[in-house]
Amino acid sequence: MSQIIVITSGKGGVGKTTTTANIGVGLAMRGNKVALIDTDTGLRNLDLLLGLENRILYDLVDVTSGRVQYKKALVRHKKYENLYLLPTSQIKDKSAVNPEQLVKLCEEMKKEFDFIIIDCPAGIEQGFKTAIAAADTAIVVTMPEISAVRDADKIIGELGRADKENVKLIVNRIRPQMVEKGDMLDMGDIDEILSVACIGQIPDDEKVVVATNRGEPAITMSDSVAGQAYKNIVARLCGENVPFLKPQKEGFFARLKKLFGLL
Amino acid sequence: MGDIVTIKGLKYGLQLTFAKGASFDDVQANLLDKLQSGNGFFIRGTTVFVPKGYFAEEQNEALRKMFHRHGMLFSTELKRPNLAPPSRDTSTKASKAKAPVEEAQKMMVINHTIRGGQEIKANCSVLICGNVNPGAQVIAGGSIDIRGTCRGFVHAGAFGDKSACVVADRLMPAQIRIADLVARAPDEEFKASQAERAMIKDNQIIFEPVAR
Repeated sequence: MSQIIVITSGKGGVGKTTTTANIGVGLAMRGNKVALIDTDTGLRNLDLLLGLENRILYDLVDVTSGRVQYKKALVRHKKYENLYLLPTSQIKDKSAVNPEQLVKLCEEMKKEFDFIIIDCPAGIEQGFKTAIAAADTAIVVTMPEISAVRDADKIIGELGRADKENVKLIVNRIRPQMVEKGDMLDMGDIDEILSVACIGQIPDDEKVVVATNRGEPAITMSDSVAGQAYKNIVARLCGENVPFLKPQKEGFFARLKKLFGLL
Repeated sequence: MGDIVTIKGLKYGLQLTFAKGASFDDVQANLLDKLQSGNGFFIRGTTVFVPKGYFAEEQNEALRKMFHRHGMLFSTELKRPNLAPPSRDTSTKASKAKAPVEEAQKMMVINHTIRGGQEIKANCSVLICGNVNPGAQVIAGGSIDIRGTCRGFVHAGAFGDKSACVVADRLMPAQIRIADLVARAPDEEFKASQAERAMIKDNQIIFEPVAR
């Protein structure tokens, strides 16, 4: 049974594309056949995060307008053979693809893939409506920040209006120290407002930036806490019951190291 | 070419008139289109009037069902429905005095959380089994009862009923209005620890704890 998952957030910059890339790689690492569809037409990034920009021949607009078969536009990942990317156009804009076209495409792709993951653009306009049209599961990404939570709430409402009942939550870029000091919303506050099943809490990790720039998602780095959190999310998506990571406090040695680093 | 259906706003609802020669099927399809387009005309609880005798009885029945599914009332007689705003000209006649009582007893029940950007409007009282999240709006002609946390914007007694109140398990709205009075949340954060009721006393909105 294949699943179509849309990754959305409302607010920009909370980590939709990063999450898409990491979950995609994670699912492929477990042996699933995965297709990632970038629907952020005009502002495409997903190819960069996967390091596949120079391999793109055709894009989503070519496929939905009927110029080429979708198989021709798919870009296979260089390292993970079951992972494919369907990039979007950088030249056109969001109006180039409509919801019916994407639903039709996903119906067709469903026969070939175990997971189809759709990267949604920010906002609640046409691009968002197109991206969610085909999905049977929605993952809402948010950050422990009042504006991101407010937008996530709105998005969950919009998803409900579009009859998408299977909604899951990922809280990204948590800073345990700030939460502890009370400078950042904690999971309890977020849960209380959104009241949606949470499948991941990802700590803020500098390695994600390194990974993005290198075109290798953090999930492939063994020493990244965010990567570990993504691995757990993938396991939960596959139906495993994994406990949440304990928030890491800065230990004595880490502080010592930092001190020496400063000197 | 003019529209098949013309909508005219009345004091207590919407009056529909139809283009000459339009078939019932066309009218029904056009209305359904309008209902689903979500334009601001068709607010839940609104009464829609269709001239009496314009359509056959079973056709009227089909329209009644369609409007009912969208939360509206259907009538062929142009008169003030029970749901209308409280009348100021309440006469002494028993039959007329009954109307506001019936209205106060009417209640809209909402069985889910109202999220940011969503809006609930009702002429009657509203019971919400769920939270009212920040950025959400609830506007009621009567009182508002929230079985959950209220963080949004609430307006009770929107037609001027000063006896209306707002009750919530945790009442911490961004702004609260009762009749024509407004109060806002304090600038510093606070957490409500028990169920409270907001009401008007001495021309001020006050909060008082209630047992639930």
